[in-house]
Amino acid sequence: MTTKLKTLKQHFLSFPKYLMVHPFDGFDDFKRFKKGKLYVAITLIVLFMFLRIYAFQYESVIINPNNPQNLNSLELIFSAGLLIMLFAVGNWSVTTLMEGKGTFKEIFMVTGYALFPVVIIGFPSIFISNFLTMEEMGFYHLMIGISYFIAGWMLFMGILNIHEYGLGKTLVAFVATIMSMSVMMFFGLLFFDLIQQFIAFVASIYQELSLRY
Amino acid sequence: MKKLYIILLTLSLPLLMGSTQYSYSFYDDVLHAAPGMTYATYFNATRLDAELRSPEDLTVFDDVIYMVDSSTNMLTMVDSGFNLIDQIDTFELSQEYEAHLIALGDNDPQPETLNSPLGLDVRSSGIYIADTSNYRIVKLNHDYEVLDIFDHVDDVTFDEMNFEPRKITVDVAERMYVVARNVYEGIIELDSDGTFNRFTGVNPIQLNPLEVFRRSLMTEAQLAQLQRYLPTEYTNVDIDHRGFIYATSRPSEGSAENMIQLINPKGIDVLRRTGYHRPMGDVHFIEGENNYVTTGPSLLVDIAYTNNGMYTVLDQRRSRLFTYDREGNLLYINGDQGTQSDKFREGVAIDYLGDDLLLLDRRTRTVIVYQLTDVGRAINQATAYHDIGEWEQAAELWREVLRLNTNYEIAYNGIGKYHLRNGEYAKAVEYFELGHDSYYYSKAFQAHRNGIITDNFNLIMLGIVLLTSTGIGLKIRKVYKAGGSIMYDD
Repeated sequence: MTTKLKTLKQHFLSFPKYLMVHPFDGFDDFKRFKKGKLYVAITLIVLFMFLRIYAFQYESVIINPNNPQNLNSLELIFSAGLLIMLFAVGNWSVTTLMEGKGTFKEIFMVTGYALFPVVIIGFPSIFISNFLTMEEMGFYHLMIGISYFIAGWMLFMGILNIHEYGLGKTLVAFVATIMSMSVMMFFGLLFFDLIQQFIAFVASIYQELSLRY
Repeated sequence: MKKLYIILLTLSLPLLMGSTQYSYSFYDDVLHAAPGMTYATYFNATRLDAELRSPEDLTVFDDVIYMVDSSTNMLTMVDSGFNLIDQIDTFELSQEYEAHLIALGDNDPQPETLNSPLGLDVRSSGIYIADTSNYRIVKLNHDYEVLDIFDHVDDVTFDEMNFEPRKITVDVAERMYVVARNVYEGIIELDSDGTFNRFTGVNPIQLNPLEVFRRSLMTEAQLAQLQRYLPTEYTNVDIDHRGFIYATSRPSEGSAENMIQLINPKGIDVLRRTGYHRPMGDVHFIEGENNYVTTGPSLLVDIAYTNNGMYTVLDQRRSRLFTYDREGNLLYINGDQGTQSDKFREGVAIDYLGDDLLLLDRRTRTVIVYQLTDVGRAINQATAYHDIGEWEQAAELWREVLRLNTNYEIAYNGIGKYHLRNGEYAKAVEYFELGHDSYYYSKAFQAHRNGIITDNFNLIMLGIVLLTSTGIGLKIRKVYKAGGSIMYDD
């Protein structure tokens, strides 16, 4: 039992922390010795989705402009999930062409692990924000800012290491990833629009026929 | 008899439901609201037995209603019982002014008439009329004799164009604040003798960085062809007892947020905008062309200051009246577009007669009188008590407001402030949360939290000490169990 708990602690806390402070060694372990676990990445992504809902609902009322009646948990979950999947797919498609060594699974796992600081700092920060006054809110914003900054750092170092890129090439890969993400979004919207029009067309034909006969 | 009343009231229900009174909540929702003001009576040319063709401006001084008409060029006076006092189109010259003209060489001074006047203001120092198409301001005394005429503004702006005053207001020092047509520099301030002082309350124009960059690449010729970025024109001015100018302007390109301004004597906009939304008339509106509904932001054409920092603006586009308090909270919205006698089509001017609001409709040539409803009176009184720091009376009235209109979120802040002053911080926090006032919520919460910490300081310190010592103790125990020692040895 204790060994199991210890492994969980190792996988969920110690190793991501190690990745954060020793990105090169950490991601080397991550890739070569398969220390990164898919279930950890998925758990972190799920926690991140939950964090967004939690923030929407329970951020201190001083800074929370959200109407609790407008809470749409599915929207928050899907927007986060969509963004992560878009990044993973976009990065994978770009780095495949740019001779990246990372597999899709690794890219996805790096994305998940990169959310570790956001999750680990986000939950307590939002809880504490309820005990802060307006003047002290700066600390809360600082904490959230730091968490996203570290997340960006981890994502960058992770992508750099798993593809075995240099600094310049990683930057290029990121720019290309953002471009490919926007292209995918464009096609997605186009696809949805066309499908919608097609369905409307079929529906109107059906309506026409059913009214006539 | 009672039954008859009930039947009649029931029959009139559809009429009453024809217009829904609303307000905006903190979360931008349009909520049903109890009306703050309601139709009381009206008067028009027929009722007054007077001639009104195109009334342009209305003002109240000393319980007398003054109106100017741009078609008949007459000044109309109506008393507070809405009976006609007089209508004048020819103004005799006062003795001093006649003597002054004769001294200047005019041997046969004639009485003066107006030509399409668009604005007027009445103060104890006299009646000031913006005589637009005569390009001058006429100052009358209270016997309707001409005291002075100001037709020349000594500024380069008017070297090339005519001085066409549209609206005017006058402060206690008899300085005139004039809104003139095609003047983008701001409100013209004239001294009591008509000399030009300055432009005040300039509407600043800000270009976005992209625009600045685009312009830096253009040649002079290209720049000249561009549409000019002009500051928006003011539409109306009013002045309060402290000499602060309340001004309304047209919505500027892409921004409707600074349409109402409170200009201090230094010429700076100091209007407080701490309400849920910026004071700008309607918060929700549809942009762009649309055949079904009125589009675009509110078109504010007049502003009337009442007291305790409350002011009302008139939206000509949708025929609505918005009343705000000193902090910029939207207190109530009333008025409705229509042709019934309690509605109006083209409001041009508003002013307060005591607590009643007079609205001048140019199209129907009618003045509609609005009076406060129970909830409106309670709101006004609560605001007044709030203004002088009588929190307890204010809180009582806010409770009454909440009873009459459950959707009235601002009332919670009023009650919260009373609890805050009274030291009941937990209650204050609760009310400020309901009223969404983050500033006062923060203040009340701080006091509440610090109170809890001070009261339980011993317990909290004990807890911290216990926790740390337990942690250290466990660590020591672990070291000894593993056969080590905490003592220093090498």
